[in-house]
Amino acid sequence: MSAATPDTALPLRFRRSRLLLRDAGIGVALLALVAFFALAAPDFLSGTNMSNILTQITINLILATGMTFAILIGGIDLSVGAVMALCAVVAGTVMKLDALPEVVAVGLGIAASLGVGIAAGALNGFVSAFWGVPSFIVTLGMLNVARGLALEVTNARTIYDFPDSFIAFGTASLFGLPVMFLLALALLALGWVVLTRTVFGRMIYAIGNNEEAVRLSGHRPFDTKVLAFAVTGACVGIAAIVYVTRLSIANPILGVGFELNAIAAVIIGGTSLSGGRGSLVGTLLGAIIIGVLGNGLILMGVTDFIRQIITGLVIILAVVLDSYRARLSRSLG
Amino acid sequence: MTPMLSLRGIGKRFPGVVALDGVDLDIAQGETHALAGENGAGKSSVIRLLAGIHRPDAGTMALAGEPYTPASPTDAIRAGIRVVHQELNLLPALSVAENLLFERLPRRALGFLDRRRMDEEARALLDRVGLADLSPRAPVEGLGVAQCQLIEIAKALRSDGGRVLVLDEPTATLTPRESGRLFEQIEALKARGLTMIYVSHHLAEIFALCNRVTVLRNGRIVSTERTADTSPPELVRAMIGRSLATQAPVSGGPVGAEALAVRRLRPKGAPPGPGLDFAVRYGEIVGIAGLVGAGRTEVLRAIYGADGPPRGEVFRDGKAVAIRSPRDATAAGIGLLTEDRKAEGLVLSMSSAINTSLAALPRVTRAGFMRADAERAACVRYAGELATRLSGPGQPAGQLSGGNQQKVVLAKWLFAEARVLMLDEPTRGIDVGAKAEIYALLGRLAAGGRALLVVSSELPELIHLCDRILVLSRGRFAGEVARADFSEERILGLAYSGYMGETAS
Repeated sequence: MSAATPDTALPLRFRRSRLLLRDAGIGVALLALVAFFALAAPDFLSGTNMSNILTQITINLILATGMTFAILIGGIDLSVGAVMALCAVVAGTVMKLDALPEVVAVGLGIAASLGVGIAAGALNGFVSAFWGVPSFIVTLGMLNVARGLALEVTNARTIYDFPDSFIAFGTASLFGLPVMFLLALALLALGWVVLTRTVFGRMIYAIGNNEEAVRLSGHRPFDTKVLAFAVTGACVGIAAIVYVTRLSIANPILGVGFELNAIAAVIIGGTSLSGGRGSLVGTLLGAIIIGVLGNGLILMGVTDFIRQIITGLVIILAVVLDSYRARLSRSLG
Repeated sequence: MTPMLSLRGIGKRFPGVVALDGVDLDIAQGETHALAGENGAGKSSVIRLLAGIHRPDAGTMALAGEPYTPASPTDAIRAGIRVVHQELNLLPALSVAENLLFERLPRRALGFLDRRRMDEEARALLDRVGLADLSPRAPVEGLGVAQCQLIEIAKALRSDGGRVLVLDEPTATLTPRESGRLFEQIEALKARGLTMIYVSHHLAEIFALCNRVTVLRNGRIVSTERTADTSPPELVRAMIGRSLATQAPVSGGPVGAEALAVRRLRPKGAPPGPGLDFAVRYGEIVGIAGLVGAGRTEVLRAIYGADGPPRGEVFRDGKAVAIRSPRDATAAGIGLLTEDRKAEGLVLSMSSAINTSLAALPRVTRAGFMRADAERAACVRYAGELATRLSGPGQPAGQLSGGNQQKVVLAKWLFAEARVLMLDEPTRGIDVGAKAEIYALLGRLAAGGRALLVVSSELPELIHLCDRILVLSRGRFAGEVARADFSEERILGLAYSGYMGETAS
């Protein structure tokens, strides 16, 4: 991005350079973590393990990409794990329709997953923007609604035995990298372009920073808010498909707690919980940090319990650092 | 006799402003002493010093002969100075008793609340302000503004620590009838010998309630007199003082067609009545003057649709426009520069370029994508035209000085090609040099054919800028003054007209 026409991109470049500085800090933390595990856990740097890490973080990366939109606009989405289960079981049900040719069934299943995700996200955004209620509460409600629907649709049963052609994607690799990870990366890159280059992205940042100023400048923040949550939901729909293709099952209780991992990736990535500040580059680094931390600790033989404690402490550290950043930027104003 | 409260040579300055300068003030024991003065004359600064919110830079204060140096509001309360601030500080979900006694709740062993004692103490306090029939257990949120105001006063009366009670604009939110009830209680407190400082815009109240009145102007004391020895017109003259060195007025352009007109406009909080009618022509700068609370800001916000569709009709270029939200207003070529730049005008953490384009995004986008070059070019162009001092278009708006921030907001509306600009306190928080620049700029904009509607608390500012001034008093137009007839006395007289003799009503 530094190659982007230096003469014309000045106003953005200023902002970008500040963001880059922040991302660089997170990058250094990541490198330190990698160096530590490379020394402490001999197998950590092996190609297989690297590929493992990428596979492990794929779903969280997709969810965190969507979550970044919700958080940047000043909201949050607690329903992504549950909505993801709903998307998965709806997609699974559609894909198993015998009346349809396999390709059509799979295609419709993917579309259904996306559709459910977008609908749930848009509904979250609509309710919270229209009635001015915190998205925290609205999505907490949606969490229960979606989980209940997923159980209702499936009668609490697991759907399995999907077409091989579809399952093959889950384990496929390209240039030695898991295809699904590449998909997540492509999605993140697309999101980055949207956030930094489009009017929609501009409105998200501006609303996250000062909604009233945006409104009084003649805009309707409502539309942007609904759309931002719909993007979060679309990512959930995609994550559900990735889940099903990789594990070859769709069950109504999958994805429990996934929203917290996604939020953690976004926050560790330096995006401010109060909105308006942050980037998807940070989210990428945040998701990798969480993945590397989990993987490295396992290799070191650290127990599951201790891993949870350490991950929790890292999240707290990230928010504490964020509060310093917030104070710093306030002192500018 | 030693005065209850005595201020000697008090000075207080804030960055760029001298708030108080050499203030000497004696408040005698048991008197009710009024502080009067224009907006920004220093009344609030005196109160903040007494309340322990700020500390003086110079001079000394003494309470009943003892040095008085409060380091915090708690200190002030402990010393016996109780301030009832203009804005209410009650906790709506808690009960009347809890609010009254919040500073020190009666408790029993282990930190349990002593309900019985709370009710007793609360009842005694409510008695003293004439609210004997109010239940101490009732939640505050269901009460009217007048009752809340009285509860604030009752709260201040607790523990008789009220050696000095300061009332800051206690009737600002009250109806005349509610005010009347408040005055009865103030009279009762006077009869008990409580020392009070009474701050109000309402001259009638000052003359009805107070023994003496001190007039402040530009942070200095102009006069202290017994109310019996002075009169409202004399007081108004003292508040204005000699007019400032007359600056050459800003010259507008040739006046053109009617740009903006409103008919039967009833802004938020407007009194019942036919509403407001007025018009602004291209090339004209029209001012709206009035006291704080007269409804000036509300007029601009109503036209702009900032609080929902306005009640009344708005015309642009002679044609009625339906305004449902700021979006419709901007589409009709109307821009609003808000009173609070930081909270409502700018996205502080974002670049000046982003702030410049915020109201005219279609001009810097192509197919939904931002054209960073066009955005930057616009920022640079307007920074040049308005002489905005920026390190570059990427500099965050929050890093700019007040004057330069205001120029960025102006640039936003110029770039959005707003032909009607409504400015609310355009030079608030801007230092003197930058003020002159903004004035010249507004003159140029008018000369360039734009229509400007300016609200300001500073009369010299309006007199300097405007072709004519509409004077609001209590939500109604008290009159219109043409440039030839401009004088602070005349405008202020109109501004006060809605408040005169209201205690009689």
